[in-house]
Amino acid sequence: MNRHDPENRHDPASGHDPENRHDRSLPLEGLKVADFSWVVAGPVVGRALADFGATVVRIESGTRIETARMMQPFYRGEAGRENSALYGDCNAGKYGLTLDLKTSEGRGVARDLVAWADVVAESYAPGQMAKWGLDYASIRTVNPSVVMLSTSLMGQTGPSARLAGYGNIGASVSGYQDLVGWPDQLPIGPFGPYTDYVGPRFSLVILLAALDHRRLTGEGCHIDIAQSEIGVFLLSPQLADYFDRGTVAQRRGNRDEQFAPHGVYPCLAENGRDRFVAIAACDDAQWRILAAELQRSDLAADPGLADAAGRLARADELDEALAAWTATQRAEDVQTRLQARGVPAHLAATSADWARDPQLAHRGNLRQLPSERFGAAFVEGPRYLLSETPGQVRRPAPMLGQDNEHVLRGLLGYDQARYDRVAASGALR
Amino acid sequence: MGLLSSYRVLDLTDERGLLAGRMLADLGADVVQVEPLAGSRARHAAPLSDRDGQPYSYLWATFAANKRGLAVDLGCEAGRHVLRQLATQADFFVESLGPGAAASLGLGWPELSEINPALVYATITAFGHDGPKGGYAESDLIVWAAGGPLEPNRDGTRPPLRISVPQAFLNASADAAGGMLLAHHARTRDGRGQLVDVAAQACLGLNTLGRVLADPVGDAHPEWAALISPTARTDQSGSGTGTSSQLKKWRCKDGLVEFHLAIGQAAGPFTNNFFRWMHAEGAGPDLLRWDWRILPELVEREEFTEQDMQEVRAVTAAFLAAKTKNEILQAAIAYKLLCIGVSDTRDLADSPQLAERDFYVTLGSGRRAQTMPGRWATASIPAFELHRPAPQVGEHTDEVLAEWLGYDGQVREPLHEGRVIA
Repeated sequence: MNRHDPENRHDPASGHDPENRHDRSLPLEGLKVADFSWVVAGPVVGRALADFGATVVRIESGTRIETARMMQPFYRGEAGRENSALYGDCNAGKYGLTLDLKTSEGRGVARDLVAWADVVAESYAPGQMAKWGLDYASIRTVNPSVVMLSTSLMGQTGPSARLAGYGNIGASVSGYQDLVGWPDQLPIGPFGPYTDYVGPRFSLVILLAALDHRRLTGEGCHIDIAQSEIGVFLLSPQLADYFDRGTVAQRRGNRDEQFAPHGVYPCLAENGRDRFVAIAACDDAQWRILAAELQRSDLAADPGLADAAGRLARADELDEALAAWTATQRAEDVQTRLQARGVPAHLAATSADWARDPQLAHRGNLRQLPSERFGAAFVEGPRYLLSETPGQVRRPAPMLGQDNEHVLRGLLGYDQARYDRVAASGALR
Repeated sequence: MGLLSSYRVLDLTDERGLLAGRMLADLGADVVQVEPLAGSRARHAAPLSDRDGQPYSYLWATFAANKRGLAVDLGCEAGRHVLRQLATQADFFVESLGPGAAASLGLGWPELSEINPALVYATITAFGHDGPKGGYAESDLIVWAAGGPLEPNRDGTRPPLRISVPQAFLNASADAAGGMLLAHHARTRDGRGQLVDVAAQACLGLNTLGRVLADPVGDAHPEWAALISPTARTDQSGSGTGTSSQLKKWRCKDGLVEFHLAIGQAAGPFTNNFFRWMHAEGAGPDLLRWDWRILPELVEREEFTEQDMQEVRAVTAAFLAAKTKNEILQAAIAYKLLCIGVSDTRDLADSPQLAERDFYVTLGSGRRAQTMPGRWATASIPAFELHRPAPQVGEHTDEVLAEWLGYDGQVREPLHEGRVIA
């Protein structure tokens, strides 16, 4: 039997419709997800599942407002809990339920949700879900084949499991704070919570693998992702080098270990804003073209600069030459000019550059959605373009409590009286 | 058994895409890394050392680990024939050869889907295969600049900074693995494969914390406000993203500490906790008088001044300077602090937390032994298989051709002699 035979499945909740076999539905159509996660690393996973067809219910408190809702950028620059474009980006396509898990009625709804779900995702401090009776062991008793994803800073176990932290802490414990900066200054670290960006990518992979395992065997599982470990994993070569030779990786500005020149150079300011262009000469041929563009025949002819080792040794001098050359030009002009000759160069894209980047537009990377609140909502598109079942962003992120009734009545099947009772209890806050 | 043990992956990536296959291999898939007879160019990727007189790339040693290796000359038709035969037996195919390169070898998605309609075919490029920048010359830094995370990462007057360990293609490769499994789930419904197209530039918006959306949504001032300013919008998220990065770095006894004097309802309590720790240690008792949850209001009422801030920073600096990273870690757990030592490679290698969680693994033995990060997640059922070091050139050519295609010695021998495979 073919390993992906569509008949070979044990998933009663897949929504698979034999009549529709040749009308390609989205890959996760019918998958039910209870998303208890918050901020970035967890919600981004549910967002991907929603893009590819899953029914995702995002559960949050309507009174203890989650961090991402308080974070910029804001629509029209106005701070407000319904205005965050970051929250909008991480939660588009989901249904929104507000729930007070401190109330027994609220926990009752949560128990119904985890019994309903194929996937439960959460990103609370380790131990918090257990306090609500929503840990894997408890959920399993009502939903034996559930796949549960817990994503946290340090993981669910180990001496540092309870370490609190936002992403800057994650970037510290995974090595990144130290690896961004000028060698002659304190490091500055990466932009924002780096492990929140890399964690969800790995979460998605193992979650989809676990769902495939469940499809074939009926067996669910609990997945424990430590965002800090994903960060360290992406430094695997540097860790291997340390274990082998004791090398401690160093921050090196924008320099490369093997190539020079390689850096980010100032260009003409535009509308009062500093502009920069990144340039990299990755081989000798690119260097010769670059030197010619600089009209520095002295550098082009210098035998000491003919190979990478020579250029690396004189990287300061080359950086100065490039910076002097770029300083009088617009960043985009440098990019266009060097790319026309096959030299890697690109302006350091601002949000405005990104939004009008013709290549990103070509790939449909910025999606505009109808929004009652803003007229148009903007989110990033899926990062993987699937030719036959492309992801769809079906609606903007929910406002607080926007889908309470739909979730309880439509998805969980509460009748009107029961819904009214729960709502009156104050649990849906 | 791993979660993906029943699947075969044909991996034609170089240093730009090795990670995708490594992730699938870690979950149990049979991943065959295809290389030219002279070896992959990824074998020369930094960081680079040498073993037994040969270049030894730690990037190759780690991100090609757990795969089997097959060497074939795709420059000749006989080699391409072998590759096409292998593709008929593969569940997944992944390549990062550059725009149009696989197609020029007759190994593009249209050709391979013709002979294996169930194949999930992933391609990883810098900008994409076509479009206005499809042909752009690239490097990791260039993609980082084009995708968004470079520009805002600036402190002071010098240019913005990338991460000194290239990350753009790693993010894209992890996305490719995710896309491949999404396409796989589509295949479980109807048996059909598809193309999964990943461009690194388009992957990096996620690495800006929504910043790339500032212009479209009309936020003209996404530069998060300075540390304390009652008039400017202050960053009360607790992440400290809006605070000058160097203001969050402090010196301690054995290195650096990351600590943001966070304010506001969400993160202020952590700062209060910090001063509780200082108080318990007998330092700065008067610092307890400010409630960092409501600090913006105190500033507004002029009950907290810039001079107070300077004093707080000076006392904090003196206090932290006498602590070790480990003491700070213990306090962070005991007092719930958003304060932690800045780990370098050595700290990561020696981490008790990572040791307790069996994070590192040594693959291979003898001269080929290499210790590296291993299992990148923990699961309640067997999920991972970590069992072999990165392959040598052609190390598994014969066994893969035998297992996947049933080629016996009689079939393989002429291919070896003709330098089609190695």
